[in-house]
Amino acid sequence: MNRAMYAVLKKDFKGVVSNRRLFSELLIVPLILTIIFPSISIAAVHFAPDDPDIVKLMELLPDGSRADSLEMAVSGLIFNYILPVFFLMIPIMTASIMAASSFVGEKEKHTLETLLYCPLGVKQIFQAKVLASFLFSMLVSMISFIAMLFVLEMEVLFVMGDLLVPSAGWLVILFLLSPSISMIAVTLIVRGSAKAQSVEESQQGAVFLIIPVILLAAGQFAGVMLLNVWILLGLSMVCALLAWALLQKAVGRFNYETLLK
Amino acid sequence: MKTVVLEDLSKTYPGGKEAVKGISLSLEKGEVFGFLGPNGAGKTTTVKLLNGMLVPSKGRCCVLGFDPAREPERVHEVSGVLTEHARMYDNMTGIQNLIFYAEIFGISEEEGRKRAMVLLEKLGLKEAAEQKLAAYSTGMRQRLSLARAMIHSPKVLFLDEPTSGLDPESAQNVNRIIQELAGEQGTTVFLCTHQLRYAQEICTRYGLIEEGSLLAAGTLGELREKVDSGAELLIRVKNLPKRIFQGKYAEEKPDNSGEGLSLKIKSEEDVPGIIRCIVGEGGDVYEVKVNRPSLEDIYFALTARGKEEQL
Repeated sequence: MNRAMYAVLKKDFKGVVSNRRLFSELLIVPLILTIIFPSISIAAVHFAPDDPDIVKLMELLPDGSRADSLEMAVSGLIFNYILPVFFLMIPIMTASIMAASSFVGEKEKHTLETLLYCPLGVKQIFQAKVLASFLFSMLVSMISFIAMLFVLEMEVLFVMGDLLVPSAGWLVILFLLSPSISMIAVTLIVRGSAKAQSVEESQQGAVFLIIPVILLAAGQFAGVMLLNVWILLGLSMVCALLAWALLQKAVGRFNYETLLK
Repeated sequence: MKTVVLEDLSKTYPGGKEAVKGISLSLEKGEVFGFLGPNGAGKTTTVKLLNGMLVPSKGRCCVLGFDPAREPERVHEVSGVLTEHARMYDNMTGIQNLIFYAEIFGISEEEGRKRAMVLLEKLGLKEAAEQKLAAYSTGMRQRLSLARAMIHSPKVLFLDEPTSGLDPESAQNVNRIIQELAGEQGTTVFLCTHQLRYAQEICTRYGLIEEGSLLAAGTLGELREKVDSGAELLIRVKNLPKRIFQGKYAEEKPDNSGEGLSLKIKSEEDVPGIIRCIVGEGGDVYEVKVNRPSLEDIYFALTARGKEEQL
């Protein structure tokens, strides 16, 4: 990456952070999903009476999911099966907002034309923008994870006197599946930005990505399908390949004329 | 040395509109070339072709030897562009914007800040350097855009309506900067405008364009010769004998006061003879003025000629 690309990347980061409305839009969903929702769940688990249905459900689960107490077992289930799905939603949302703002937003505000008159190729501008959106979404995911882990462990320790152990699935989610999905979202937004005339219009594309993630979340909640490490690894590979293919195809689509339309 | 060359340059948009039709011209180093025509004549399209934003349908062009259609980045390295649509970031201050663009042109942050401060001072924006662009007026934005186009000391400057939105004082300041750049640093300036009077103040050579076609190109003198419309001699005179010229000069128009006389002459060579004649016949001459055709007169003469030819 050369100095010019780094300057664009740095400017995009600062642009999002300095825009209060955009920044709060980016933070509110991760805050709800990773701090408020888990805290309510832990409180519910702790204060709810021992439900016989939950006891039955625990008996159905594999041995590894069981713990010394029912509270810890249910908390573990929430932590290792429900919460990871949120870390697929967060990068899609963050990457979509950032990519739409940094690419279509520039087009809308006529600042893209000024960038095009600089000694940066269209491909380099594209790469810098994709990288900025991708890195930003990963940063938000990581910070959300660290904040969630800290708050959740503190709560569990305080309420139940024990600590939750993250499963291996978390590693796959955070370092493989989440980056791949984030890259797909960014590429789809940037790809559609050549035609889109407004930020809102370009964000529509990412909505379709959320649908499979919602189905996945519903599956996890209902217990229809519990994702183990191998399923997650397979899914990550498929998504990574798809992201790579989309990225390659999208780079070739851009030229000055299509961008300035 | 030719810095900008256009050879039979044409651009037809996908909808079929011919925006530029076979334009050929070249610019020398350090000249301020006025590319003049009404709105929609093809001026901005030509600037976009010269910067590789559009690909020519026919013909070619080059800037300092680089073909913008093939090597747009190389053209951008050596040129600065100011257009109405190329804006900067509202959420950043004036100086932050300039430093950002300096960095994109490979200039360090420190050097970029130095250059930015010099340009901001020259353009009367020093006080507003730390203000966010959102608080800038149209004129201030225009001046900042000019600073942005000059931040990397380009060898060629493309300016599309540079004084649009500027007050007279700022416009004069901008003119002075453009002339300094061309005169002292040898920067070639390709200036597009529809304000012919403004262009006449600042440009050294002109290209007149209408509906995508180049009507004529040259210095003011060369263009005057092309339209061959002579000049107008205005004399303020008392005691002028009647029928002194006996129809020798066309359009003898004494005004209502009876003191003013307007004569259509072929060249300035006619003036001494006319004055001698008036004085010899007992007339008292108070004022003599020769009005040569302005760029505006030449433009209208050329467009009228074009329309006659079409008929």
